[in-house]
Amino acid sequence: MVEIRIHGRGGQGGVTLAKLVAASRFLQGRSVQAFGLYAAERSGAPVQAFCRFDDAPITNRNLIYEPDHVIVLDPTLVGPTIAAGLRPGGWILLNTEDPPDAFGDRFPHNRIATVDATAVARGHGLGTRSVPIVNTALAGAVGRMLGFPLNDMLAAVEHLGFGGANLHAARDAFDAVRTRDAPWDPTPLDTPAPGPGFGGVGRTPGFVEGAGGERPRIETGRWASEQPRRQQFVPPCNHVCPAGNDVQGFLHALADERIDDALEILLRTTPFPSVCGRVCPAPCMASCNRRDLDGAVDVRDLERLAGDRGSARLVPAEARDRHVAVVGSGPAGLAAAYHLALFGYRVTILEADTVLGGLLRTGIPDFRLPPDVLDREIDRILALGVEVRFGGAVDRRRLFAVAQEYDAVLVATGLQQARSLHLGVGDDDGVEQGIAFLDRIKRGHGPHLDGEAVVVVGGGNTAMDAARSALRLGAASVRVVYRRTRAEMPAIAEEIDEALDEGVEIDFLTQPLAVRRSAQADGDGGQPELVCRRMALGAPDASGRRSPVAVPDSEFTVGCHRLILALGQSPDLAVFPEGTEVREGAELLGILETPVYAVGDLATHDGTVAGAIGSGRRAALHVHQTFTGRVEVDGDRTRVRSDVDEWHDEVIRTDALRAHLFERQAPAHAPTLGLRDRRTTFDEVHGGLADAADARRCLSCGVCNECDLCVTYCPEGVLKRVGHDLVFDYAHCKGCGICVTECPRNVVFMNHL
Amino acid sequence: MPLRIVTGNHAAGHALSLAGEANRTARGTACGIYPITPQTEIVERVAAFPFSRGRVVAVESEHSAMAVTMGASVSGARAFTASSSNGIAYMVENIMVAGFYRLPIVMVAVNRTLGPPWNIWADQGDTLMLRDFPWIQLYAADNQEVHDLTLLAFRLAEDPRILLPVLVCMDAFIVSHTQAETELASPDEVDAFLPDLDLPHRLDPAHPRALGSMVWPDATVSHRMEIDEAMARVPNVMAECRARFREVFGRDPGGPLDALHTDAADAVLVASATVATTARGVVERRRAAGERVGLVKMRRYRPFPEAELVQACGGAGRIGVLDRDYAAGAGGVWWQDVRAGFQGRDETPLIQDYLLGIGGGDVTPALVNQVLDDLLNRRAAGPPVWADASGAFGPPAEVGA
Repeated sequence: MVEIRIHGRGGQGGVTLAKLVAASRFLQGRSVQAFGLYAAERSGAPVQAFCRFDDAPITNRNLIYEPDHVIVLDPTLVGPTIAAGLRPGGWILLNTEDPPDAFGDRFPHNRIATVDATAVARGHGLGTRSVPIVNTALAGAVGRMLGFPLNDMLAAVEHLGFGGANLHAARDAFDAVRTRDAPWDPTPLDTPAPGPGFGGVGRTPGFVEGAGGERPRIETGRWASEQPRRQQFVPPCNHVCPAGNDVQGFLHALADERIDDALEILLRTTPFPSVCGRVCPAPCMASCNRRDLDGAVDVRDLERLAGDRGSARLVPAEARDRHVAVVGSGPAGLAAAYHLALFGYRVTILEADTVLGGLLRTGIPDFRLPPDVLDREIDRILALGVEVRFGGAVDRRRLFAVAQEYDAVLVATGLQQARSLHLGVGDDDGVEQGIAFLDRIKRGHGPHLDGEAVVVVGGGNTAMDAARSALRLGAASVRVVYRRTRAEMPAIAEEIDEALDEGVEIDFLTQPLAVRRSAQADGDGGQPELVCRRMALGAPDASGRRSPVAVPDSEFTVGCHRLILALGQSPDLAVFPEGTEVREGAELLGILETPVYAVGDLATHDGTVAGAIGSGRRAALHVHQTFTGRVEVDGDRTRVRSDVDEWHDEVIRTDALRAHLFERQAPAHAPTLGLRDRRTTFDEVHGGLADAADARRCLSCGVCNECDLCVTYCPEGVLKRVGHDLVFDYAHCKGCGICVTECPRNVVFMNHL
Repeated sequence: MPLRIVTGNHAAGHALSLAGEANRTARGTACGIYPITPQTEIVERVAAFPFSRGRVVAVESEHSAMAVTMGASVSGARAFTASSSNGIAYMVENIMVAGFYRLPIVMVAVNRTLGPPWNIWADQGDTLMLRDFPWIQLYAADNQEVHDLTLLAFRLAEDPRILLPVLVCMDAFIVSHTQAETELASPDEVDAFLPDLDLPHRLDPAHPRALGSMVWPDATVSHRMEIDEAMARVPNVMAECRARFREVFGRDPGGPLDALHTDAADAVLVASATVATTARGVVERRRAAGERVGLVKMRRYRPFPEAELVQACGGAGRIGVLDRDYAAGAGGVWWQDVRAGFQGRDETPLIQDYLLGIGGGDVTPALVNQVLDDLLNRRAAGPPVWADASGAFGPPAEVGA
């Protein structure tokens, strides 16, 4: 009887090789057995297969401990025990590119054959590039080694249903196999063959007696060809937030009902969570991957909830001896002052007005942003020690004086020059700028508009705010005229809807031409009218929006007692020397040593509160870097990076998420004020969310939120979470990949070794 | 038919499929199946077979697999299934019912260790625990026996004098997954060997009645006595089946046991399944060397061939029973039946139990030699010996760098 032991790795085809060799003998009329040693191994694990053949019927059914020959499919398996029990003089066949002599010292008692079956298999396209199937090639090599005719081996290959490339591989390996002619040492082996004993030696500990005892360790991780790891991506909401907020981070804290932590995370980047939680256009919600599943997470209202209900203690860094002036107390100036104060700088805000807050104070109606909310957040900034000097606009001359007095100056005067239309009437004749109109109302001097027909020109939030305010002041009708369509309106979509709900009418594709009074018979000033013209959308302009073009002969009039212009504002650059190129991050003036920067809308023209906050923070970082030479925070990311993860700076792709693993759940809805009150009072329209439950809908795209599904599903128990880290026991992880397929957010991924 | 090299599972699946197909001129075949390592290849093969009459139903558990198989059988279909280990344990309630219903179901069992601790390798504990149910139990030692006993089982089970289910067992992996030369039957041969099934008590809508209703003790006693009488008829009917098998297939499927070199033997080993084939090699070599040792290779466990065994042992003074099973608190299961068989005979021999190959432990010729040495040198029988407590079949030695 001839017995052959085969060593390979799971997936290489060792059992089939045993069967090929057996088939070659079976076809010659021999009695054969071919079998594997089956267990829980998987791809890449060291495995054994066996083959025996004899002229007489085979009786024994045991494993093979003293093989006549050994075949090794993977040369990395060659170790001290690979030839255990191999009879002296028996063949050892190795799949390697090395010649047999390279193994002479290692196997002095044996005849050695080598063949590069991997190259042969690859040459014939058998298996994959990473896992070539080498068994049919090795079958040919075995034939040559044991002196069987090539045709025997080819017949075996065909008998098992293999053809084509497999036959060529067997033939090539049959020809290519190299053997070692050097004489072998015929003395018996030192290593005794492992075999069964009798009489109870080396009993393995059981359940009870063996509890706590030492057990043999099998480092199954050595079988692995892949290892799971954790990676972190940038979630889309974080990426698009103009303020640079860690949206996913604060939602995660809220989902855990840690409202104070949520506020603390927000306060790392913004001093205005309660304000932005009311007035932000929330690009995070537009980018939310949940939007197309069952509706975006209500990030805006959740930020409001964290700002309104959380409490956090801000501790500025140790005081530094630099003094920074911030010109203007809008959101950009206040955000810059806030961050500078947290860095420990002395900060003085120069405010021309008598109140703080800029447009937050004077341009956003109470029904969207109640003044006490703004007060509270500004008070938090002032509590950091920020000083304020009211009165006197900073003009070009005074800017030089300020620059001499302070160590750095940030100019954050925003967009103050309202654009106008030439309609042939004076401002005092029923035409007013929207920001001036809103300012009047905010200061308690709002006009009574009882019975008036009001027309607002524009499509931004100022237009919506002015229109909605006019309704509340008693206007009989409020029309908004806008040159383009709803799709092009820059106002927050929800505010447009709310304006329509409240009774504002919007004329799209309408251009105002002139205000005139219809002639009256008695010569009295007749009904004022607005002459308008219809427009159509033409080619896209520089902003990508389609430009409106006039429709010929389409003039018409609408009744109009009061015309409010909300056409946008532009920066007043007169504060800087003529010809100064004002842009974010650029040092201005250049005459004095003092760094002077333009901040917020003045520099960016962005026009959103969140954008102004982000600009203010970047300016503070910039000043800090100028003073210290140190970069404190890496760009817009505030998340703490752990060393054990792989970090990606790009946004996670939507298709990388495993949407089927998320339960569908409708978004929460915040209550709104009744329509009657919305037409007659300036009470806040939105009631805010009752609780933070909606935060639990956050998919945590590309960011581990410690859901621990990977830990739960790991069949080997080799994955655990320690603190915030995922710890893989790579000594025992076989790389099965279940943790990867169970991770809903593509955080656990497979790393090829 | 020519020899082929196939696995034990392949051989079983082939025999089951052809037996099912052979009933197509009667009521066809139907059965419930559920996979479990190492039986899975059997049900895969059966499920893929294009039966011309009947169907195979994949169900959600072993319990249901036997329920469907019983339903098929009681309606007159040829019915069979296959399972293993804890799957059999889960199926137990219906296994028992199938026997008491006198349904001629054939079940192939791949003997696998009952867990925990979890273990997929050979051990007969999963079928020997069914020993008190009305099932005939046959144990195959190699691929050919798996194939032949499976076919024989149908004829035996369906014989109107028997009408009892039959279990055909093979060792996990050592047979189920080992490829060896095997002669597979042709459809014509199976058609010739298996008559159409005509179940006398099948349920028929034209003649409504119920099976298994509540009865008084006297009816229960009658039911048990009928089973006892059917069991008593098994030896003769099985011999008839064996003879017919030889006529059709031209080879001997084997009887309840084989005796080897037991004439004038001092010591005889009693073993079953693959332990018996390995022991056979040992006994043949030692006989050739002049030692008076023999082997009784058991093929049938229920009904236990008591008389045949005593006769086969031929007056040997020492009998060693090789048990690949362990009945907690009682030692080996085969040992208990062997001892009972010799009870009350003149000159009771020394009967020693050896527990070996438990949990799939490798039973090598060397181990059998050690067992035989122990048997020959022992003064008296003692408690069962845990022959392979060294854990010979521990985790494979780590190889490589």
